[in-house]
Amino acid sequence: MIVAGSVLPVRRANVDTDQIIPARHLTRIDSGGMGEHLFEGMPDGAALLAQHPGASICVAGENFGCGSSREHAAWALLGRGFKAVIAPSFARIFEENAYTNALIPVVVPAELVERLYDARHVVIDVAAQTVRADGGEPVPFALDPLRKQFLLGGGFLQYLNAKIPAIRAWEAAR
Amino acid sequence: MPRSLFDKIWDAHVVEELPGGNALVFMDLIVAHEITTPPGAIAIEREFDDRLYDPQRIVAMIDHVAPAKDTATALQGQTVRTWAKRQGIPFHDIGDNGICHVIVPERGYIGPGMTACCGDSHTCTLGAFGAFALGIGTTAQAGAMLAGCLVLQRPKVMRVEVTGTLQAGATAKDLALTVIATIGFRGGTGYVLEYTGSAIRALTMEQRMTLCNMAIEAGATTGMIAADATTAAYLAERPNAPSYAMDVQADADAVYAKTVTIDGDAVRPMVSWGTNPGECSPIDGTVPLDAPAASLAYMDLQPGQALAGLAIDQAFIGSCTNARISDLRAAAEVFRGRKVSVPTIVTPGSQVVRRQAEREGLHDIFQDAGALWTHSSCGPCLGMSMGVLAPGMRCVSSSNRNFPGRMGDGGRVHLAAPVVVAASAILGRIASPNELPALVRREPVLA
Repeated sequence: MIVAGSVLPVRRANVDTDQIIPARHLTRIDSGGMGEHLFEGMPDGAALLAQHPGASICVAGENFGCGSSREHAAWALLGRGFKAVIAPSFARIFEENAYTNALIPVVVPAELVERLYDARHVVIDVAAQTVRADGGEPVPFALDPLRKQFLLGGGFLQYLNAKIPAIRAWEAAR
Repeated sequence: MPRSLFDKIWDAHVVEELPGGNALVFMDLIVAHEITTPPGAIAIEREFDDRLYDPQRIVAMIDHVAPAKDTATALQGQTVRTWAKRQGIPFHDIGDNGICHVIVPERGYIGPGMTACCGDSHTCTLGAFGAFALGIGTTAQAGAMLAGCLVLQRPKVMRVEVTGTLQAGATAKDLALTVIATIGFRGGTGYVLEYTGSAIRALTMEQRMTLCNMAIEAGATTGMIAADATTAAYLAERPNAPSYAMDVQADADAVYAKTVTIDGDAVRPMVSWGTNPGECSPIDGTVPLDAPAASLAYMDLQPGQALAGLAIDQAFIGSCTNARISDLRAAAEVFRGRKVSVPTIVTPGSQVVRRQAEREGLHDIFQDAGALWTHSSCGPCLGMSMGVLAPGMRCVSSSNRNFPGRMGDGGRVHLAAPVVVAASAILGRIASPNELPALVRREPVLA
């Protein structure tokens, strides 16, 4: 799986999920309709998006997705056309949500993030786990080997469904 | 090998070790509310014939927008309501409801040694009972509802030892903010915080819940406190409480990935000045000289500026952090016989808390003071209903998050303990209760 596109540089740490999508938009019973509200809670979010039309790779500082557990944050990014988020670190729940929704969470050192803010075109090879900017050398990044399969092929609930007999046996023997 | 409290609960719930350091971890309890549950419940209905692993391990309620404010939120509530009834899931509907992290302990759903999860980041509150309880996303919650388990990376364990005793004027909220300021807003990421020490042992269960509630605000997977006689006494009063593993305790020689020691005697009343809960200082302090410019620009503050005395536009006492009966009693003592000078909203954590407060006459104290006394809801804490801020409004709040826009677009939130919120509401500026002039007479309580 190759994800390629232009960058939305969010040059700050601690982008919380209230900034990614404010709670007033968490009023649906499905995951749709979130993209139009992406970064509405960020003071300069609308301007940032307007300056980078068509961006599909979000590059941000440390601890991206902190705060609320709302999976709507991943849905809003996907709904706006984003395929990946690159950051030095993610908040745990956001990262879990990214994996189960096939939003590629790319963790790279802060120095690389600084360079990627200004990249024009970024290519992420999910299978090979490399990220490459403007035709430069591919840089490897780590993925959770189990959750990688959900990035590439989905199927998180099917995976758990297949575990149910073993889980029931475990519980019976508890 | 000696083990921590977390280690013992984790080990007792691992069904299967999975690749990449993941584990299939059994969940004793799944908490479901109307904001994050519907898409998962609908996915299970469509893709897995509506089959749940065990409806009796789920408890559902309507809490965030309660009652519904519009058609969309009504549909969310009705989706959870019909799903819970169809599945035979214990359900707390409007009138019998409250914030999930308040309802679950007060009704005896959680106890020591258990695991619990909810599509809500403040599920760490339940760690106060010596449980492993964590917030998760909608899809992970759907997985737990379908298969009884979460897929989790094993977190490291950080021991947070709080020595001494909290002194007069310092509350569990002040300790929670002190912990976050000490280890950093993201300092707990990848860790479970295991709170130990004399100051922790001296906390009531409600104070422990306030402390554990804010573990997520340091990025931690959860916070935990081993059960003791205080826990047992609280649980003994819960209706229909199941039996719990009261004996799950950390080994004396347990090894921790990290240990942080905090002097409980030195904890002071705190107030936040920035745009995350780690950006806070003692109330009689100032905005740090090295405070991030973006935070100060949003909050309209200057480096070195005093926090006490800052004019406010609204005050809020509520949320899963600080809306239990002891919080309301403490706030009422400050309000008693005084008048608020800014719009003030007091929202109990559950309808049970509300009724108890009214039996004690606290609602009269709040309303005599000129505050709005509401039914239970998450309310303005997350800017969804019942007290959303206008741009530029400055609010002192007993809630847990001061993120940009959290309580409304452009709204500025200062986190503090309920007694500080009450004192600030009266004086119209950030203030601690000891700044209040002595009462010359008490207002009669209206019938």
